[in-house]
Amino acid sequence: MNISSQNRNKINDPITLKHGIETLNISLFSITSLLLLLNVVFSISVSAEKKENQMILVSAGTFTMGNEKRAADERPVHKVYLDAYYISKYEVTNAEYYEFWRSLQKNNPESSQYTPESFTHLPYIGDWPERATKFPDHPVVGVSWDDAKAYAEWKGMRLPTEAEWEKAARGYSNRTWPWGNSIGPYANTADKNDGYENRIAPVGSFPKGKSYYGVMDMAGNVWEWTADWYSDVYYFHSPKKNPTGPTVGSWRVIRGGSWIDTLPRCSTTFRYYFYPTLKTSSVGFRVAKTAEKPKK
Amino acid sequence: MRNQLKILIVLYLCLPLSAIPAEKNDHAKYVQHVEQGFVFLFQGNNKEAIAAFESALAVEPKHYEILHYLGVAYTQEKFWNKAVEVYQRSLDLKPDNIEALHSLSLVYFKLNQWADAVELLRKVITLSPQHARGRELLGKVYLKLRQFSDAADVLTRAIELKPDAAGTYNDLGTVYLNLKDYPQAIENFTKAIKFGPPRYAEPHHGLGTAYLRIGDREKSIKEMQIYQQLQEEFAEYERFSRLTRTEPNSLEAWKGLANVLIRQKKYNEVVPVFQKCIEIASRQRMSVDVIASFYHGLSQAFINLNYPKHAQDSVRKAIQLAPNVAVFYNTLGSTYAMLGDVRNAIPAFRKAIELDGEQPHYHLNLSKLYQSIGNHKLAKEHYQAYEYFFSKQKQNK
Repeated sequence: MNISSQNRNKINDPITLKHGIETLNISLFSITSLLLLLNVVFSISVSAEKKENQMILVSAGTFTMGNEKRAADERPVHKVYLDAYYISKYEVTNAEYYEFWRSLQKNNPESSQYTPESFTHLPYIGDWPERATKFPDHPVVGVSWDDAKAYAEWKGMRLPTEAEWEKAARGYSNRTWPWGNSIGPYANTADKNDGYENRIAPVGSFPKGKSYYGVMDMAGNVWEWTADWYSDVYYFHSPKKNPTGPTVGSWRVIRGGSWIDTLPRCSTTFRYYFYPTLKTSSVGFRVAKTAEKPKK
Repeated sequence: MRNQLKILIVLYLCLPLSAIPAEKNDHAKYVQHVEQGFVFLFQGNNKEAIAAFESALAVEPKHYEILHYLGVAYTQEKFWNKAVEVYQRSLDLKPDNIEALHSLSLVYFKLNQWADAVELLRKVITLSPQHARGRELLGKVYLKLRQFSDAADVLTRAIELKPDAAGTYNDLGTVYLNLKDYPQAIENFTKAIKFGPPRYAEPHHGLGTAYLRIGDREKSIKEMQIYQQLQEEFAEYERFSRLTRTEPNSLEAWKGLANVLIRQKKYNEVVPVFQKCIEIASRQRMSVDVIASFYHGLSQAFINLNYPKHAQDSVRKAIQLAPNVAVFYNTLGSTYAMLGDVRNAIPAFRKAIELDGEQPHYHLNLSKLYQSIGNHKLAKEHYQAYEYFFSKQKQNK
């Protein structure tokens, strides 16, 4: 039955970001600077990981990628086959990244390479490396694409491709959000009622928001770097099997939305892009690994 | 002597001490400005984004990415010369940045600097052969330069890369019109209409012209009439939009805009317009009937957007203000029906008929509801009433 309702249009989801800027508060003579000056090597005791960031197996097979009804770069909807792979259950945390960073610092304490950006003006993120102690379970942010890639390689892994990311978030049943198609939301977004207003949440804070495969936080909290360059027309001519993105580009694809984004930007198909050199407070990453094929 | 040495050592330690934190302080300011810049840019607040990015670059000037984003903000504000300057600075730092090259060529296009645009776009395509936006823009530039064969090549390739690009089909249609290849022109304009947004006017004009050139006057007139109608709608939309900006408290302006948007079936855009009408009408203490009609308009928009609960809330407010308007009850019944609540839908439709029994569609709605619950007798009765009043209305027209 359809009464008095014709030509129903789809709503264009509003794209707004919430202000998350606090006042600047920098101490000129901070302890950090003094210790650095005196060449005292940092020795922060980072608490053991509360959550084991296990790798989740995503089995080989075909899934549906893209969305016909949303942004133009999500078109066309197409089938993609992916070999089996592992993806980390959570975004890489401050504590995990600290281990990597610390190992580099041991060899070369002067180097600032792969050091996450400090966000002195954001109290729930703050400076690196202090935040590794203060918020060990928070996803690491302020990392460039190269930082993320270097970490992944140090762990013997890699960044997920855009297709791998979408499959892990969406599953086989074309979910709009990792948990399904209901608005929920079970994610840390710009929504004021999610319990984490204006701040990042520790990884795994929304167990109901897990994806079909059991991967956590694939909507909201922090955007996640993927391995691929961004192209708005890639879906029209991408390979049907194990696509790895365009060969050139200016921007890398980020996925999943963040704590400063509205829910529509946190959908499983929404694509966004960023210069790979940028380090911001809303972009982190997770890692992936190709599963070995069973021996015949 | 020992004391002097001590003082020297302390001084030696203190000098760099003050230097390093200051640097850190500056960098922290840079980071804060950049983060603010992004927030403003994504909110569409370009002026604030420009201020934030300029402040960041005043601290650390050599960030090619931030210069690019600053250029984007200047472009959106139509500060073309500033945009050219910052894009150029960005490209000086990273000459092969495909997106910055494309952004700069877009500004050259706006400034009618065709040769500069062509040079950059060729570079974009060389660096990234699958850059559809680069090819689309290059095709537009060739069209402006009347290099139709070049335009046809580059636009055809752009469509291969992005086969649902309505604007590109329209440009290609124009190219073939100029090349006097009318069948190709007709094919491309038709695809532009197929893939384009509703009420996309330009391809109808192209199609009308192409039909005229091949001697099909009937089809040509039809397309030109559609084009004219869409142009008039657009002009009306522009007029009311402008009026809402120049006279933001004019109820007539907002009401006019709402009417245009409803006619164009732009339901998502009309929601905030009706909300504004309600706000202004309430503030200006307009009659309850007027305010109720805006609530009803809002509920109609929500119905078309498939938000029955929102629609129901709005139409209830309309009924509270004006309890004797038949159409409000018909809308209320529709919202219940959409929610599958037949029990409440029936009395709402019955009330509509009680207030105005000669509206055929109220009877049709009620008939369908009775049919759905198996009451065929009443379904038939109301269907007959529908037929009777419908034919009566037709005769009167």
